[in-house]
Amino acid sequence: MRRVVLALVALACVAAVVGFQVTRPAKAAGDPRVFVPSPHFYEKLSPSYRTSIADLYWLGIVQYYGEHIEGDRRLDSVPAMLDLVTALSPRFIEPYLFSTFALADAGQPQTAYDLLERGYRANPRNWRLPYQLGFLAYTNGKGKEKALTAARWFEIASGLPGRPAFMPRLAADMLRKGGEREKAIIMWGPIYTEGDKFARQKTVESLETLLPKGKAARMKAVVPLYQTMPKDAFQELLAELFKDYVK
Amino acid sequence: MNRALAIAVNTFRETIRDRILGVIVIFALLMIVGSLWLASISLGQEGRMMKDFGLVAVSLFGLIVAVFVAANLVHKEVEKRTVYVIFSKPVGRTQFIFAKFLGLAATLACVLAGMGLFLFFADWAVSKAPSAMILAATALIYLELLVVVAVTIVLSTMTSAILASVLGITVFVAGQLSRQALSLTSLGHSPVLKGLSWVVYVLIPNLNAVDVKPAVVGEVAPDWSLVAAWSGYLVAYAVLCLLFASWLFSRKEF
Repeated sequence: MRRVVLALVALACVAAVVGFQVTRPAKAAGDPRVFVPSPHFYEKLSPSYRTSIADLYWLGIVQYYGEHIEGDRRLDSVPAMLDLVTALSPRFIEPYLFSTFALADAGQPQTAYDLLERGYRANPRNWRLPYQLGFLAYTNGKGKEKALTAARWFEIASGLPGRPAFMPRLAADMLRKGGEREKAIIMWGPIYTEGDKFARQKTVESLETLLPKGKAARMKAVVPLYQTMPKDAFQELLAELFKDYVK
Repeated sequence: MNRALAIAVNTFRETIRDRILGVIVIFALLMIVGSLWLASISLGQEGRMMKDFGLVAVSLFGLIVAVFVAANLVHKEVEKRTVYVIFSKPVGRTQFIFAKFLGLAATLACVLAGMGLFLFFADWAVSKAPSAMILAATALIYLELLVVVAVTIVLSTMTSAILASVLGITVFVAGQLSRQALSLTSLGHSPVLKGLSWVVYVLIPNLNAVDVKPAVVGEVAPDWSLVAAWSGYLVAYAVLCLLFASWLFSRKEF
């Protein structure tokens, strides 16, 4: 009998505890303005936990972004949070890259650009940062200038280890869009030399649009390519570019 | 019933003899020095500061008493072998655990009443007006601490007194973050993780469902119906812990 009473009391308590907890209202979407301390505050407070604090804030940014982008679309504190994380952990690449679209969503592409530039200065050997800078410059810039700025970043990314094969092609194409025809022609030389069958085909197609149609003018325009390529590759390319002129 | 009462009274006497009430004196000294200091730096807000920080101090001092005494409550009886004498009488394990808890609850009531009353009168002297909300807030802190005592007793039946103390404090901190545990249940898409988050959320005592401090400093009136529901929840949680501790204790052989 005593055991039955105890079991009943336990059951009633379990019901009360679970009942109270499950009826708590879900946490409402937080205020978009979150207090974010200055990076100096944490640097002074706990230098040995600098990266751990940055990681905690990184988790916070992801949750904050998800919560607000699907709700009120207000991302007021994203710039300050990203600034904090990248200041505490300058070699942490992901927040710089995340800033491209998070800050663009927050209506602050210039802040994203500045942050990515800071990331590039701290990580000059990572191709993803100049690539992202070029992308941001092209999607948010104006006029021909945007293509030239993007091309400048893609050129930098092209020279960094681990970059994908399309990077030099992207840089050359941007130069063409920016009106830098001569520079663009020169960029295609190494692409042809180092590239596979597809890259070579793209080179020929692009040079066809960049080079003048007249034979003499075309001959003159391809001369600078000679400086950028081995002799065999150059002759092979010439054969492709002048096959319609040999008659 | 009389036997349980005798154990409870004995526990109360034993803990009082351990000079637990000295905590009130330390608290009083801290509040006197603190109020003098706060008066000089709070730009005329010493009453508000005293109420707010005073209640935080009540909570922390109470926590120290609750956890360290509760962790030793059962251990001491086993180590000194007095438990053999007790169990040679017709006393059940459940009766024993509940009686020990009641004894400590009475001690904690004295400690918190002492600190709460001192804070009440000190604030009255500083603010020139009595604030009954201080006493209500102290009562709620008392209920919270009873849960911590019950959890620490469970832990002390499973592990050493020191580890039980540390874990008891950890549970108090986790209880203050219960709302964050609730927000974990809505993150991610995995049903397994969501289920686990719910289990964690229900298992951790919810010690932050109500915060009466804003009401004490004159900001917003508390939702009394929520206070009542939360009080019921705390009592139910403590009873559950004690039943679990009794079950664990009944499996021990002496």
